[in-house]
Amino acid sequence: MDDNVIKVENLVKYFDGRCVLDGINLTVPRGCIYGLLGRNGAGKTTIIRILLGTEPATRGRTLLLDTESTNLSPGIRGRIGCVAEGHNLIQNYRVNRIIKLCKDLALHWNDESFDHLIETFRLPMDRRVKDLSMGMRAQLNLSLAMAIDPELLILDDPTLGLDTVARRQFLELAIEVIQKQGRTILFCSHILSDVERIADRIGILAAGKLVVDCPLEQLKERVKKLRIIFPESPPENLYLTEIVNQQIHGREMTVTVANWNKQKQSILETFKPSSCTEIPMSLEDIFIECTRPGTEPV
Amino acid sequence: MLTLIRREIRDHIVYFIAAVVFSAILIALLTAAAYHFESSESAVFVGLSIPMLVILVLGFSAMGVTQMYLDRNRRISAFLSALPVTRSRILTARIVAGLLAILIVLVPLAIAAIILGRLIAPPIPIFAGYIADILTTIFLMVLACYCLGLLTGWTANKIAPTFGALGLNLVLVSLVFVKGFGPDIKFLLVLVIVACLIRTWHKFMSTSL
Repeated sequence: MDDNVIKVENLVKYFDGRCVLDGINLTVPRGCIYGLLGRNGAGKTTIIRILLGTEPATRGRTLLLDTESTNLSPGIRGRIGCVAEGHNLIQNYRVNRIIKLCKDLALHWNDESFDHLIETFRLPMDRRVKDLSMGMRAQLNLSLAMAIDPELLILDDPTLGLDTVARRQFLELAIEVIQKQGRTILFCSHILSDVERIADRIGILAAGKLVVDCPLEQLKERVKKLRIIFPESPPENLYLTEIVNQQIHGREMTVTVANWNKQKQSILETFKPSSCTEIPMSLEDIFIECTRPGTEPV
Repeated sequence: MLTLIRREIRDHIVYFIAAVVFSAILIALLTAAAYHFESSESAVFVGLSIPMLVILVLGFSAMGVTQMYLDRNRRISAFLSALPVTRSRILTARIVAGLLAILIVLVPLAIAAIILGRLIAPPIPIFAGYIADILTTIFLMVLACYCLGLLTGWTANKIAPTFGALGLNLVLVSLVFVKGFGPDIKFLLVLVIVACLIRTWHKFMSTSL
């Protein structure tokens, strides 16, 4: 048995002749919390939909728990919890009916954990899903996904539309799941501070390609932003490889470089800069740098 | 599977209630026609049952359209497929629910026809043959229109399923009225059913949810 819970091999997806995913390769090992990031329309939801078998791929292969996404049996699906973007629940059902439906279809249902969540969120059982607020829908969706004690939890922008308190509640819950051993989470979000808080591996999608795929700590180590001041005007070319972004203002040059090492530092020193200081980068800064048009994979 | 069938029935309960009502009306008309077998009033009751049959056929077609249209537009299968359910089970449960609704109308009608046949009709084997022929053709016609509904309902467009299904149903019903209840029309109806089911299955299994 493979220890990778999610495997994406050379995934290509076209929508109306437009390439949305261009040869994506991705693996998520067991127990990993993978944060998949990207700008709007980058293809995050498409990857998730292809993984879950709700969207056909143009080319390539995707596997969940060692099974092709197109052939996921109920037994495999029963081990996967999913919170879809926009909290895709049956809108005209009452909350108690949707809970009963999910419970009847589930292969395993943890009543204790589910009741605890429902009490925590104080969800109105007799209201229709369409009458619930976005936050309540997210809470219901998450409770349903968690009740089956999933081996793999797929969260597609789960905190979208949630207020700060609900978002915090949600993250605490996600952390609770993470603490249970062997659980794997694939997490897409635009709120990078959330991802930074819980993810241990990051993937960044830009222009249909996975430009970043590495552990979060390694990413922060590898990508450096430097403010370099030269005595005169900066050179046009620093002859450094893997420059993610470069901006010049007068004598000052700001460079974002991937895989910063001593060799690159020596090359930079040959230009005799007056000063060179490192600008601390948050995940958000790295994300912005990596999703600029024309960025090379980091 | 039972949960999925239950869900389909509950979501389209109106059609099941209508099926029971229709069954009662058709049995009443059949009984009235049988008891006035030798009088001219019999023709009135038989005449009344024809528009009822047309409504029945259109009703089942509407049921097929509603099942698929609401699924697509409320993204029901998209939600269900995140649960331990496969697309094939969702569609099978849907078709089983449709078949159940058809049988709710036709089984009591068949039983009533057989009983009335034994009580009233002359003991000639040809009558039993007529009843079997008529009931089989009605069953196939209703099922064919239901399958057409399933096929045309899987769209985001409102006009296509309404007019598409309506037009095709009227063609099928007219064919039955013109050709009668013989084996050729039965064969044609079976062909339509098989073609519609294969196409619906293919569309449902391969499109994005």
